[in-house]
Parts: sequence; C-alpha cells; structure tokens
Amino acid sequence: MSSPDVSTTPDPTIASSSPPATRRTARRWRGWWSRWSSASPVSVTIFALVLGFAVGALIIITTTPTVLDAWRGLFHGWDGPGRALKVSFDTVGAAYRTMFVGSVVDPASLWHSITTGRGWSATLTPLSETFTYAPPLIIASIGVGIGFQTGLFNIGANGQAVLGGIAGAVVGSMIHVPTIVHLPLTLLAGLVGGALAGAVPGVLKAYTGAHEVIVTIMFNYVVYAFLMYVVLSTPFQQPGQQNDIGRTILPSATLAPLFGTASGLRVSYSIVVAAAVVIFAWWFLDRSSMGFEFRVTGLNPTAARASGISARRVTVLVLVLSGALCGLAGITQAASFQQQLNGGFLIGNAGIGFTAITVALLGRNRPMGIVWSSLLFSALGVGGRVMQASTGIPLDLATVIQSVIVLFVATPVLVKEIFRLRAAHVTRVQLATQGWNS
Amino acid sequence: MELVTTTADTTTRAHRANHLGRTRVIALMMIVIGLFSGWIFGLGSPTRARSSLTFNPVNLSASAPWHVGTLTVSTRSWVLALAIVMVALGVEVFWREPRRGVMARFGAVAVLFLVALLLWAVRTPGPSPVSFVNVTAVLIGASAYAMVLIFGSLSGVMCERSGVVNIAIEGQYIVGAFLGTIFASTTHNFFYAAIAGGIAGGLLGLLLAFLAVRYLSDQIIVGVVIVTMVSGLSSYLNLQVFTPYPNLNTGNLAPNLPIPLLTKIPVLGPVFFDQSGFFYLMIVLVAVVSFALFKTRYGLHVRAVGEHPEAASTVGINVARVRYRNVVLGGVIAGVGGVAFMASQGQFQPGYTSGLGYIALAAMIFGRWRPSGAVVASIIFGLSVYLAYNLQTYQVPLSTYILQMFPYLITILVVSGLVGRVRAPAADGIPYHRE
Repeated sequence: MSSPDVSTTPDPTIASSSPPATRRTARRWRGWWSRWSSASPVSVTIFALVLGFAVGALIIITTTPTVLDAWRGLFHGWDGPGRALKVSFDTVGAAYRTMFVGSVVDPASLWHSITTGRGWSATLTPLSETFTYAPPLIIASIGVGIGFQTGLFNIGANGQAVLGGIAGAVVGSMIHVPTIVHLPLTLLAGLVGGALAGAVPGVLKAYTGAHEVIVTIMFNYVVYAFLMYVVLSTPFQQPGQQNDIGRTILPSATLAPLFGTASGLRVSYSIVVAAAVVIFAWWFLDRSSMGFEFRVTGLNPTAARASGISARRVTVLVLVLSGALCGLAGITQAASFQQQLNGGFLIGNAGIGFTAITVALLGRNRPMGIVWSSLLFSALGVGGRVMQASTGIPLDLATVIQSVIVLFVATPVLVKEIFRLRAAHVTRVQLATQGWNS
Repeated sequence: MELVTTTADTTTRAHRANHLGRTRVIALMMIVIGLFSGWIFGLGSPTRARSSLTFNPVNLSASAPWHVGTLTVSTRSWVLALAIVMVALGVEVFWREPRRGVMARFGAVAVLFLVALLLWAVRTPGPSPVSFVNVTAVLIGASAYAMVLIFGSLSGVMCERSGVVNIAIEGQYIVGAFLGTIFASTTHNFFYAAIAGGIAGGLLGLLLAFLAVRYLSDQIIVGVVIVTMVSGLSSYLNLQVFTPYPNLNTGNLAPNLPIPLLTKIPVLGPVFFDQSGFFYLMIVLVAVVSFALFKTRYGLHVRAVGEHPEAASTVGINVARVRYRNVVLGGVIAGVGGVAFMASQGQFQPGYTSGLGYIALAAMIFGRWRPSGAVVASIIFGLSVYLAYNLQTYQVPLSTYILQMFPYLITILVVSGLVGRVRAPAADGIPYHRE
C-alpha cells in the first residue's frame, strides 16, 4: 500500500537552495506538522486509537457504580463537581493504568529489577503474557487479511480456528510419536482442519455463488455445536470426565515455553510459528504469482477475469488458505498455553476469530500492520483481565474499545472531520466486500 | 458508472448460472432428502409402530379451544408417503426445471422433512417415552422464533430495499433484548419495553446509516463491527449492571392477550389468537411494510433509491434522506424484535440470540427481499430452530449438539440454492456519492 502522505507533502529536505538554518528548521517543523495533520493512514489510525480509548473512558464513567454515586452527589456540597470529576478521573486512570501494568510492564517493578537485579521473572510476566496471546491472533488475522485483500470477507475465522483446534488436539492427544514428528503433525492437522472449514464456504461461493458472509457465519455455529459434541463423546473426551473437556494435548505435541518452564514465563515457541506465517504472508502476497492473482482479484475483479484469472479457483483457494491459517491459529493457541479443549474454546467474545477481523482491519491487511495491531489488541485483552481482577471493570470493555477503534479506522472521513485533518483528496468509494449480487 | 457495470455483470452471471443447471442440483438435493427420510425414518421404524398427533394445547386455560381427538397413524406408511411427496417434488423440479417457485418447493420439502422427523421421533413402540407430538405446542413454540425472525427480516427488507445492507440485525436484537429486559423488569409493562428497545435499535440503525450513508464506509464491515461492539458491550453491562442489580433482569415473559372466541378454533386459535402483543404487532407490521413498500409513493421512492440512486436523485429524490429514514426504521423494527425475543425467552444472557439476526438476514434473502417471502422463510427457519432446541424432549437418538447444527445447515443449504435465482436490489451495499 502506498502512503498518500508522501505525495501530498513536499519533502522539506529537498529544498532548492540552502536557506538559513532557522528557516530550514521552521520548514522541517511545518513539514512534520502537515504530515501529521494531513489524513495519512498512520495519523488516522492513531486518532482512531485516541477516540477508542476516549469512548472506553466514557463507558467506564457512565457505568461504574462508584463513579455514578460521585456524580449523584454533584449538588450535595461545594466540592460536589470537583469530587465527581476526581472520582471519574481516578477510576478511568486506575482502569487504564492496570491495563498497561498488566500487559506491558510495571514501572516500579522494573525499577526494582534494574536496581537489585532480581525479580526479572515477575517484571517480564506482563509482556510475556502479551506475547503469549499475540501469536494465534497474528496468524488468524493474516488469514482474515488475505481474504480481505482478495475481496472476500471471512467472518468464519472463529469456526475455522475451532475446527483447526479440534483436529490438532485430536492428533496431539491421541497419537504417541516423538516430538520431532508429533509437533509438526499436530500443527499440520490444525491447518487441515481449518482448511476444511474454509473449503465449505469457498466451494459454495465458487460453485453456487452463496455469499461467503452468511455461509461462514452459519458455519461458525455448526462448528461450535460440533465442538460440544466432540468434547462430550467417547474417543476425545478426557477419560473419567463427565464435563465438556477434551483430552490433554501430550507434551510431545505442545509448543514449549521459550525460556523453559523454570522461568515462569508462558511465552512459547508459538512466536516462531507466527513469525514463519508473517514471512510466508509477506512472500506470498508480494512475491508469489498466486498472491498477485489474489490481490488483482481483490482490487478489480473485472480486470482479473479479463486477464484470465479464474475467479472460481481464486475464491476456493483464498478461503482454503484463509481457513488453514485460522485453523493453525486455533491449534497454536491450544498447543501453546491451553493444552486442552473445552466446550467454551474460543467461543464468545474471547474468540480470536472475531478479534482477528478487527485486527486485520486495523492493520490494513498487511503482515506488519497486523503484527503491530495484534500486539496492541492482545495487550488490551491481557491487560483487560488484570483490570477486571483488580478494579472489577469487566474485561469485555477491551472488546468494545477494539470495535470502536476499528469503526473509526473503517470510516477515515469521520476521523478527519473530528480532528479537522486536511483531507488529501475526496475519498473514493472503495469497498472491501461485495454485495449479495456478486 | 460503476453501478452500471455491476448490474450488467450480474445479469450475465445470473444467465450463466441458469445454464449451469443449479436448479437440478437443488432438485437432486430434494430427492436425496426425500430418500433419506424414507429410508431412515420410514423403513427404519417397524411396521407396527404408530405415531400419535394431539391437537389440544398443553395448558388448558379458560380460553381453551374445543377439544379435538388424537390422530394415530402408522409411522411407516405416513413417513413413506411424505417421502414419496418429497421425491416427487424433486423429480418434478429436475424434469421440468421451472423458472419460478423452485425455492417454494424446496421449502415445502424442508417442512415435510421436519414432519417426518417428528413422526419418527414419537413412534411407539420406540425409544421415546413421549408417545405423541402435540402439533399445537410445536406450532406455538415455532411461532415464537418465527416472530423474532420476521421482525429481523422485515428490518432487512426495509434497509436493503433502500440500498443499505443491514448486517447489524443481530446487534439490534441484542440492544433490544437488553433494554427490553430492563424496562420490562422495572415497569412490568412490555409496552414501555418495546418502545425502549425500538429506540435503541433505531439508534444503532442511525449509527449504521451515519457511517454508511454520510461517510460511505463499507456497510458489511461496519455492520459486523457494530455487532461485535454491541455484543461486547452487552456482556460488559451484564457484569457491570445486572450482577449488582439482578432485579433489573428478572426475565418475566410477556403475557398472552387471547382474542375472545377466535382462540376457540382448534389448532389455529391458540397459534394465532392466543399470543403476546408482539405477535399481533408483527402481523400488523408485515401488512404495513408490504403496503408501504409496494403500494405507496414512499415505497416507490425507496425502491428507486435501492435500484438506481443516480436516477432517483435526478428526478429529485433525496437519496441520503430516504436511506437514513429506512435504516433507522429498520433498526427500530429489529430492536422491537429483540424485545420480542426477550419477552418470549426470558432473562437476558450475553450471546443468547446465537446468530438469529443472521438467520433473519438469510430469511430475507430467501424471501426475495419481500415481506411476504420473508414471512414464509421465517416460518421454515423458526420451525427448524425450535425443533433443534426441543427435539431432545422426544429423546431422539441423536446428540443435542448435532441437532443444534440443523438450522444453520438448512440456512447454508438454502442460501447456496438461491443464488442466481434471486436478485438483490441493484444498488444494495453500494454507497451513493453524489459527484
């Protein structure tokens, strides 16, 4: 993706003659400012983040009982308004601070570790948690992003991840072979499971024209029901269990902690899997001929068809590939830190498939963009858990903040208007998805 | 310019689709379903097995209808007869490849399949301790789901006829149910609940219209993100508000308002005339929406905007205003649908709409973007949703979870059978930007 800001702002360093130093500095500042105030994808994203957290703060203020009590006391004394503001500010501050401390680093603990050289494990735990939850998200989002780049909206990422998780967990828990064979086999099973779940909407879309949005959503619910069935039936249910719990994935099929179990940090080799997927996605989209066909189809289906690209083949392949990556994400999550499937695996707002959609949109479907936004959303989720534990504000706030951010990212014109950014040009209507008739 | 190419493109593809013999694929599907029912449900039950159908409602209240006897039939011969009808319909479609009414026949096969399944489930002697199907109870149960789906698909019709894809129906159900339960629990009056839910749904519709019409964003993406946001918000508020104040979510059900005398009609009376206010409101809405869209000047404007906004704009119709109005009205309808869901299912729980909003969307497509079609489709889907969740009471030898896949699988089948056969409004999902 080319960034429009480069074309709109003349680079101040390529000035014709050599003006005095002060004017050069001023011009550089102006160039910097105009780059920020123009509506580049980067500034829109950053302002969208600001708006997302602002809406989150508003929700905390309007729903937390202690804050509401403070506002109720608004007219009960001279200090009413001040106190109400202070309580609101403190509550929001505490929520976001615990979110940060829980997902990145606790400054006090960091200082303690630096000065005494001890307690690094505790200091690094929040960051490790963020990097534990990020890899499955990165993999799934790249799957969704490849779909978006081809003009296909894969809302079934969650179902595909669940089916990949089931397939991988079956292989990972019921076969006994050495690690060197077992782990790749488990990951491969996840890929195949997800690919199957992606193939259903792909084939239906290609050969009957059924819109992928409805088929993938419906298939999610089919897969959830299947998950409940599998974890409650004989071969896969954990022996001696009555509840909806599957067999534990054997140690030979797990993605082990990166720094060993003794370190106490959960961050695992799933990072390596995610890195491999990122490199693959970059190569695939930018260097391979099939990836080129995919992107051409996404940018202009008519031109793609005219140049001899088979729309059917592309549709099936995209959804199979997208599903396979989502399936890999599911088994990566199961094999790295969950180790077991239960009836609630990835279901509900915790489902990485739905977060993956928002991540892909925020990262503009590019591999590196997806890495950054995955880290951000994973941090929001991890920090949200800590926030819920320490301040009682529910974790689901993270989901709301994520959706608000993405709503704004999907509507750049609105962000431009709110922050009075200079629009580089009138926005063209460009759609990532296709209507029912396509 | 873009629009013109899109429509031309669509028509050629639709033509090609017909030549690919999709009709015959559907016909084969019907034949397979028929053969399957005949084999498993018909030949699978012993010759001496009998199935009983009862017609009196379960709770005989003061307004109980005149009693009707029990109908006891031979399971095998009846199921086989139904299977023959299904296969015959399939063969007829395969042979004649009719241009119209294929999906209606498919719907009929789906309903017959469900009837055969029920007959087989209650056969005596058989594994089930329940030896009869209460037809009226099944219809009443299914009508609750069908009602909710009709609200949703009417909302879809309103939005999509004006050219905006409303994929956020699920989200409007959720806000409707959420506010509905608060108002119903505090005021004990479902009228206020309906108004609150309608306003909330309308506000979500306004958000969608704001982003889709004014800011030309991608409607499907925005819709899905709105659903994610609302479902996250609802489980947030569930913990934040309903846990400390459980009396805000008591989950009382809407009372039935029986219509005197008419309730006495066997079967039909309890199903149609002994329902909550939401059911009657739904019937009125179907009539109003059909009339407004197809018989009035307003409807003509809406359809013009949905088909060809440039032309509509040229003759002086304000495209943006029409879209705003319709999307907001659609949101109101879906919001009331959410209240109706809450009023028939009870206490709000996060995620308990479980994709009904999307099924409503599929019902709208199945109903060819027409209120009447949406009603028929919603009845079929409602029946299958109801059976999926309640067939277990007959102790069918199938896992509950396998049964729960059925409505979704049926939706997938139906949607894949439809394409090329139905056509969305031409400008559906395409933002309109006046140059």
